[in-house]
Amino acid sequence: LNNVATDRLSVIFAALADPTRRAILARLSEGEATVSELAEPFEISLPAVSRHLKVLERAGLISRSRSAQWRSSRLEAEPLREATAWMERYRAFWDQSLDRLDEHLKRMQQREAGTGPTSSSTDPERNLP
Amino acid sequence: MSQMLHLERVFDAPRDLVWRAFTDPDEFAAWFGPVGYSVPRESVSFDLRLGGRQSFTMVPDDPSNPPGGESSGTIDELVEGSLLVTHEDLPEEMAKVFGTSRITMRIELRDTGDGKTLFVLDQGPYADDFVGNAREGWGSSFTKLDTLLASRVAG
Repeated sequence: LNNVATDRLSVIFAALADPTRRAILARLSEGEATVSELAEPFEISLPAVSRHLKVLERAGLISRSRSAQWRSSRLEAEPLREATAWMERYRAFWDQSLDRLDEHLKRMQQREAGTGPTSSSTDPERNLP
Repeated sequence: MSQMLHLERVFDAPRDLVWRAFTDPDEFAAWFGPVGYSVPRESVSFDLRLGGRQSFTMVPDDPSNPPGGESSGTIDELVEGSLLVTHEDLPEEMAKVFGTSRITMRIELRDTGDGKTLFVLDQGPYADDFVGNAREGWGSSFTKLDTLLASRVAG
């Protein structure tokens, strides 16, 4: 990861870390909504919702329409994809490592059984010509 | 403990062998790392006791690829042959990305009863709150977002 990508992701992750903001995103995944529509399920004020929306907007997770009176927000999928892709890499890291472990365990077993090409590790003299 | 990364895998090998693959530096260096990376044996240093350090470096096979970096965990729990819990404190810039300054890795090995070994990995938290509590009070509205960002990473 270069620094620009890291900074960008940290903003996205910070925005996603808050449960209210995630709930707002979840609501927006069903379609555009106004501030008051978004505030409805929560016991928080409209200004508080607006603050959350600002954080989400800054992270690029949502975009907001220009109309001042009925500003509606919509979900932007790309940063989310970016964040999940990044986390996927971590999972892939382990999946690939464990595939290699699987192979290595076979070699270890062969070695223990004395049938593998590296059986000499327990007895350095044995496989010498 | 709610963690972001949870992996399980069954290995067709006895438990002590899998344990050795994780804790013996020679064995560990022979397999650890994703495709395209390897762990030089001389970079591996395991001090297998409570409070001991477990460190190693991953290097790319192709030098033009990004460095894999050094990893250094401190052992918090240790049950020979079955449980290894380590933590690693992250540098500030990584801490921001992960949403936490400390990552814990828990590896548990269990006999499956037929000579195989169940490997269970829990690693995180990566902004624990980020995937956590998906089922607490979110109702169905979370489902779509869950698909987007949590289902695959939370296992």
